Order: sequence, then structure tokens, then C-alpha cells
Amino acid sequence: MKGRWGWVTPFVVCGLAALLPLFLSKYYLHMAVIVLMWAFLAVAWNILGGYGGLHSLGNGLFMGVGGYGAAYLVLHGGVSPWLSMVIFGVVAGVMGAFVGYLCFRYGLKGAYFALVTIAFTEAAVYVVSNWGALGASNGLSLPIAKENNLAMLQFTSEKGYFYAILALLLVLVLFTRWLAGRRFGYRLISVRENEEAAEALGVGTFATKMWAIVLSAAITAVGGVFYVTLFNYIDPRSVFGEAISVQILLYAIVGGLSTVWGPVVGAAILVPIAEIVRSSALGQKFQGAYLLTYGVILVVTMLFMPKGIVGLAHDIRRRFGGRSAAPGPPAVFPEKLETESAGKDGLAP
Amino acid sequence: MTHLLEVENLTRQFGGLTAVNKLSFYMDQGEVVGLIGPNGAGKTTCFNMISGSMRPSMGTVRFRGEVISGLKAHQVTKRGLTRTFQVVQPFPEMSALENVMIGAFARHRSRQAAEDKAGEVLERIAMKHKATVLARDLTLLELKRLEIGKALATEPELLLLDEVAAGLTPVEIDDILALVRKLNSEGMSLLVVEHVMKVIMNLSHRIVVLNFGSKISEGTAKEIAKDPAVLDAYLGEEGYVA
Ligand SMILES: Nc1ncnc2c1ncn2[C@@H]1O[C@H](COP(=O)(O)OP(=O)(O)OP(=O)(O)O)[C@@H](O)[C@H]1O
Ligand SMILES: [Mg+2]
Repeated sequence: MKGRWGWVTPFVVCGLAALLPLFLSKYYLHMAVIVLMWAFLAVAWNILGGYGGLHSLGNGLFMGVGGYGAAYLVLHGGVSPWLSMVIFGVVAGVMGAFVGYLCFRYGLKGAYFALVTIAFTEAAVYVVSNWGALGASNGLSLPIAKENNLAMLQFTSEKGYFYAILALLLVLVLFTRWLAGRRFGYRLISVRENEEAAEALGVGTFATKMWAIVLSAAITAVGGVFYVTLFNYIDPRSVFGEAISVQILLYAIVGGLSTVWGPVVGAAILVPIAEIVRSSALGQKFQGAYLLTYGVILVVTMLFMPKGIVGLAHDIRRRFGGRSAAPGPPAVFPEKLETESAGKDGLAP
Repeated sequence: MTHLLEVENLTRQFGGLTAVNKLSFYMDQGEVVGLIGPNGAGKTTCFNMISGSMRPSMGTVRFRGEVISGLKAHQVTKRGLTRTFQVVQPFPEMSALENVMIGAFARHRSRQAAEDKAGEVLERIAMKHKATVLARDLTLLELKRLEIGKALATEPELLLLDEVAAGLTPVEIDDILALVRKLNSEGMSLLVVEHVMKVIMNLSHRIVVLNFGSKISEGTAKEIAKDPAVLDAYLGEEGYVA
């Protein structure tokens, strides 16, 4: 599937998915839209988190930039959300560069990087909660669509949203594939695997990480724009809260880090499970039951397939002599983390 | 005439410890120079500073006349100087081929070109049959070869080798020796750190001896083997100089 014809796969998969509205009821179609939206956000997270090994726990920040920005411009001036995707993609990219510069200048990675991203997102909760123009803690609401309007990304049925997010996801998957298969993609993985060795082999590790966070942030903001046009509502906790950032990461990890399809598969499996649990008797009784379910699934995944579902498939294919076009996924927590300081050159025997 | 590599007053302190102390030496095109000294003498620290992975506290490094101290390691590599690590530094989740490709990308933008180059390099280091094996599944010998392969793929003019023979059996050492000699005969200059005396004595045109960070001797293998200062430094480590 990978080799020369690999680029056909996304078209085939999305082509088949495009038939879903013929079979699905309104309820399940809505679920499909949500799956695709999370898949989009998880694929964007994966560029930095999976390929780059920099696990951001603050992608809600960039999502919020897109969501709030688009909502504000719809309410004040009726600017098309499509245009907002470009504008706030750039804005979030710049913010990503800022966060990245602060972290990478001082060589922060692992838990330290994650903590900084959490801090920024938490700060956003307080800033936006006190920002009158953005509705403070009440958030912003968009008027409900009375007719289909593609330019404003407003639809009266789920079908419109479904095709919009499917198209966005198709473009993103193609982009990720392209990125992973070229020099930048290889270098990004080398930085994740061994930064010192990468640098010695001519990889500008700082610039590589900067590009990764800028891309990931910009694309996440695009997902945020879609989020607000879908729900017609955004408030500080819903995007800047930790639940969102954690969910994104969970889909990527369970599906398989640094694989093109991993985050998509992760979202496709986990989102419906969450919805089913949430609407079950148990879920009605205990609000957080779906989070508990996620926790169990995460633990099981890490125990039995540390490289996620798609990562496991990669490994199996490699074992049987297959060749893959791009380097494979890492285990979620590579052993390198523990031996990092011990293995430093010059101090070892 | 400018030398290929000129190290001048190179110094590095770690707190109160002076790991490398006012070290000066030079290398010319096509030379193999050995850098030896007892454990902790400062050899690796010296490599770190020359290759750009560590900033010197003082002193300069010139490569082909250009001051390179202060540059980042990846910029030094682009200029044609790269190093291997004493403790092998593979990319564990990448295949042997992909490991070498990262080096090749220093000279080639397109993936296909980097892959072709990496294929050639794997052939040279006798690792072609391991191309698709993940680095984390390779043996120490294979990782040592890969370490050289990654560096070769960047097409260096000057290659710094940090103890490539350590931990290998005599037969494996001969293999690596043959490879290094071949590289030199093809015009590559090499600065070699090695504990295994057989390797260093056999290979080097000249040898620089470090002890406690300072240069204590310099000359051909014959000359330094007779130098009382060197014999002194290695006292208690007999068996190294035989
Ligand atoms: N990053 C560092 N921080 C503090 N001290 C260091 C660091 N790197 C090296 N040193 C110290 O500097 C001195 C020189 O170390 P270096 O690794 O350069 O020696 P070496 O000649 O390569 O030794 P070996 O033969 O054991 O590899 C040692 O005393 C070492 O403990
Ligand atoms: Mg050393």
C-alpha cells in the first residue's frame, strides 16, 4: 500500500467514506463528522508529537485561536470561515513559533515541553475568560444556519459538514504523507530518535523542531475553525480545557504515533466508544465514565501494542520483509528517555 | 600555507576541572592523526569542541582556514567535518538504511538521491544485507559500522573517529582498520581517538598525546613510544604501550 501507489490510498479511503451519508442515520452521521474532526486534529498533533516526539498537551490553545478568531470575524463582519482558516492558521503558526522558541532555545523536551504547553493553554483560559470582546467566560455563539451556505461553512444538515471535514482531512492526510516522505520528515524523526546524532549529521535540529511546531499549530487552528462552525459555540473551557488537549493525544497514541493513518484510526475507534458509553445507562449515571473507558483503553494499548494499532501493523509488515516508504513509529515512551543522561558521550565508560 | 585543521589554545572547563587545556595542533590534507591519552585525558571533549557539539571555553578551531569554533555541529558538518561517537548513537526506530540516509541528506535534497547514496555507503561498510533492519535490532559491531556509515554519508573531508574499535574482537578490529585505511587511501583525512594501541600505531602518520587535558607529546608512533613523558603518563596502564 505504501510504495509507488501509496498516494492513491487516501483517495480510495475518502472516496469510500464519501458514500457513508447514503447509509448512516442522522445520529451516526453526526458521530462520523465528530470522528473526522478529531481525526483531523490528531493528525495535526501527530506532526509534532508523533514524528517529532514532542508531546504537546496544549494544542487546545491553537484550536482556540482558530475557533475564537473565526467566530469573532463571523459575528463582526461576516468573514468566511474559509478565510479565517488562512488568517488564524498564520496567527497560530506565529504563536507556535513563540512557544517553540522558548522551549527549544533551552532544549526543553519530554515532560518539560509538555508542561510549558499546558501552562500556555491554562493561561489562555484566564485571558479569554476576562476578554469582553470574546464573550469572557460565556463564550461566543454563532447564529444557527437557516440555509446551506458553503462560503460561510453553515449547513442545515450533517451532510454538508461531513463533506467539508472529509475534504479537509483528505488534504491533510495527503500533506502529511508528502511531508513524511521527504527530507524534512526523515530529519524530524531523526531529531526525535537522537538529537545529538542528528545534529552531528547535518540536521539543523532547532529549525526542524520550529517548523514542526509551526505546521502543527497552524493546522490545528484550521481544525478549530471547523469546530466552531460545527457547534456554533465556543467558550474558554471547551477549547482551552485540558480534556481537549488530552483527547487529541490519546487518539494519536492509540492509533499509532508517526504513522499517517494512526490518528485517523484512533479517532475512528475511540470517538464512537466514548459516544456509546456516554449515552449508555452507566454514562448517564457517571458523567466521566467515558474518560474512564479511555484510560482503560490507553493502558491496554500501551501494554499490548506500544506502537499503537497502525504501528503494530507496520511492525508486522516489516517482519515479513516489506519495505516502507517512511521510517516507522516509535514506542509511546521510548527507552531512550531513561538512558538519555546515562548515555551522554564522554561520561560513559 | 593553511593547514586542513588548526586547533589553537583549545580549552574547556567543567566547573573547576580543566578537561582540555590550551591544546594546539594541526593536520594536513590526507593525514591520519592519532589522538591518544589515558582515560579522562580530554580526547572526547576535544572532539566535541572541534565538531561543534560543545563550545570551547577558550581557543579557536580553523577548518580549511575558516574559523569554525562557535558554529553549530550541523553547520560544521556541512563544511565537510564530521565525527562518530564513542558511545554509538543510532536512531533506534529507523532502519540501517534510514540511519545512513540522515547523513546523506546533508548533501542531497531529494529522498531518492539520499537513498541511493545511503545504499552505496551500506555496501562500503558491508551492511547492505541489513538495510531494512531497525537499528535497535543490530549488534554492537553492526552499530559501530553504522556509526561510521552515517558519518561517511555526509561526505566529510575530515572525519573524527572516537574509539571505533572499542569493544570489538581482534578480527572485527582488523575489519574496521581495513576500512579506515581504504578511506584514507581515497583521500579522506582522519583524526582518530583510540585506546587499542595496535590500531593507533598502525594507522597514524602522527600522534598527539594528551594527559590531564594538556598535550604532553607529539610525533610519529616510533617517537612517542620512546618519549619518557608518554611512558610516565601510561604508567599503571601498562599493556597499552607495548
Ligand atoms: N559534560 C561534562 N560535564 C562535566 N565533566 C565532563 C563532561 N564531559 C567530560 N567531562 C570530564 O572531562 C574529563 C575529560 O573527559 P573526556 O571524556 O574528554 O575524556 P576521554 O579522554 O575521552 O576519556 P575516555 O578515554 O575515557 O573516553 C573527564 O574528567 C570527564 O569526567
Ligand atoms: Mg572519550
